[in-house]
Amino acid sequence: MAGIYIYSDKKDIVAELINFAKESEKEACVITFKQEDAEAIKDFGAEKIYVLKGSSQVPENYGKAVAELLKKQDADLFAVGATARGRDIAARTAGYLDCGMVSDVSSLSYREGTVISQRMMYGGTVIQSEELKGLCVVTVPAGKFEAAVGGETVEIITIDVEADSRVRLIETAPVLREGTDITAVDTVICVGQGLDKKEDLQLAQGLADVLGAEIGCTRGIAEERKWLPVERYIGISGAVIKPKLYISMGVSGQVQHVVGIRDSKVIVAVDLNEKAPIFRAADYGIVGNMYEIIPLLTEALKNA
Amino acid sequence: MSYIIACYKWVVDEADIRINPDLSIDTKKSKGKISDYDKNAIEAAVQAANILGGKSLGLTFGGPETRLSLKDALSRGPAEGCWISTGEAAKADAAVTAKALAAAIQKISDVSLVFCAEGASDTYARQTAPRIGAILDWPVVTSVSKLDIEGSTLTAVRKLDDCLQTVKVDLPAVVSVLPEINDAPIPGLKAVLAAGKKPVTEIKAEELGIDFSPKTDVTEIKGYLMNRKNIILSEGEAADKVKELAAYLRKEGVL
Ligand SMILES: Cc1cc2nc3c(=O)[nH]c(=O)nc-3n(C[C@H](O)[C@H](O)[C@H](O)COP(=O)(O)OP(=O)(O)OC[C@H]3O[C@@H](n4cnc5c(N)ncnc54)[C@H](O)[C@@H]3O)c2cc1C
Ligand SMILES: Nc1ncnc2c1ncn2[C@@H]1O[C@H](COP(=O)(O)O)[C@@H](O)[C@H]1O
Repeated sequence: MAGIYIYSDKKDIVAELINFAKESEKEACVITFKQEDAEAIKDFGAEKIYVLKGSSQVPENYGKAVAELLKKQDADLFAVGATARGRDIAARTAGYLDCGMVSDVSSLSYREGTVISQRMMYGGTVIQSEELKGLCVVTVPAGKFEAAVGGETVEIITIDVEADSRVRLIETAPVLREGTDITAVDTVICVGQGLDKKEDLQLAQGLADVLGAEIGCTRGIAEERKWLPVERYIGISGAVIKPKLYISMGVSGQVQHVVGIRDSKVIVAVDLNEKAPIFRAADYGIVGNMYEIIPLLTEALKNA
Repeated sequence: MSYIIACYKWVVDEADIRINPDLSIDTKKSKGKISDYDKNAIEAAVQAANILGGKSLGLTFGGPETRLSLKDALSRGPAEGCWISTGEAAKADAAVTAKALAAAIQKISDVSLVFCAEGASDTYARQTAPRIGAILDWPVVTSVSKLDIEGSTLTAVRKLDDCLQTVKVDLPAVVSVLPEINDAPIPGLKAVLAAGKKPVTEIKAEELGIDFSPKTDVTEIKGYLMNRKNIILSEGEAADKVKELAAYLRKEGVL
């Protein structure tokens, strides 16, 4: 059956993509790989729910099976949630189908057999519009569409398929999220690799306490130095925030970071290097040593 | 001896892109560079070759300007370079790119491991590794933050949105690595000099017999202009600058 086929390891995105299919006046057909995942979404409003049943616990290993299903069903489009797993299975499916794929769309519509999409290029310097015809694949980040309001419970169709058994799962360790959501706060103090050592996070914390702010960071602080949890890093591969006030310290402001703060109301930067690109992205900036400036600023804002 | 391949891309440095007032983009002044995270893919291949006793090879697909990349890439450690040259690279989408790379990998033939980076600096599409895997019908492991090789088995830790996942796979395989997998060293003078003497093969893309028509049709390319106040306090005493900033922030009503 033609229609928009959907996969995401995040239930919220499944609901959003069902709505996208409805807006496109296409049947929403959701693909899952576990009975329980299918059960969990059975009243989300999809027309069809498939369970592709095979021997692997890794969804990405079903790329070939998904490609075969899409071909057999004469699918219009495969829309996948843009998560690490989703991007992998989407691209493997596109590879097996030898079809077009647009990753991480910033906007998406489907009209008369044509996918119209926009996405960022060069870290966010450029916005590229693309059109694709025929069966193709897109990955869609969370929050691009309203979630479907739900519907009748539909029948779950189970299909036995073969998974790629060559990648074997040995162990899964959940990553515990701290609970703080830096996308939901009014003020963010952002630390970059200008910070000399982990203990100096105190500097940022002092200012954060005065302003009732949360601390965010650049990718290197979280992923390489591991000084802060990964959910605190901001940018094209991290969180996208829109606080009232964003203050950076020791952040050079490469575009991959700056795309994550573009919708902030006021952007303030403190950096040693007056040529740092962060100043071009800022409303207000101080060229100076943050080890001198931040304590003074903390003091000055105490009674704000 | 089998090859351990690092796929790297020669890209326009995004920091040099100028955006015209009509939002068209100007890349004339942009220098090329090895895509940032591909330096980590190259280092991963060099390390893996040491363990497996194979030969590391840097593989790139690109237009005439890509020739400049080879010396840079080889100074980062690979024993050999291979350039799939084409005049059509500018139009290539991920489908074309992956087909060209996969065809070259098949031509090189004795390959035990292919590394890509998580994503390229220009596209950041994160498609190429899984697509190469699909075309070759090889197993694929993406988002790898840690890697161990024992015999011909690779154990990888994958960083996913909600968990760390350990998987095992027998070679050959295609692996995409995250930048934190290693520290890509900055090549010293000796390495740069040695790079000029390493063997480089050029494959004309036409010889690979692949279909170069992209599957996606790019209809518009537009720059993003940041419109901000840009009030930068650079002169004077720190205390005065801070006072001035605090006054601005009060006025903005964001405190
Ligand atoms: C595909 C891709 C995706 C990426 N995704 C992201 C992402 O999502 N998020 C992200 O953040 N990055 C991302 N990056 C990395 C990004 O390009 C930059 O490398 C990174 O943001 C730089 O981090 P930084 O500003 O902390 O460090 P640096 O660039 O090293 O900057 C440090 C700054 O500190 C200043 N400094 C040093 N000492 C002091 C002092 N005492 N006082 C004041 N200032 C000082 C320096 O002048 C400098 O400007 C990505 C890159 C690629 C290629
Ligand atoms: N033209 C190319 N030549 C060689 N390797 C490439 C090319 N394009 C992409 N890659 C590899 O695939 C990775 C992911 O690219 P992408 O899927 O475009 O984000 C890059 O980091 C490189 O390792």
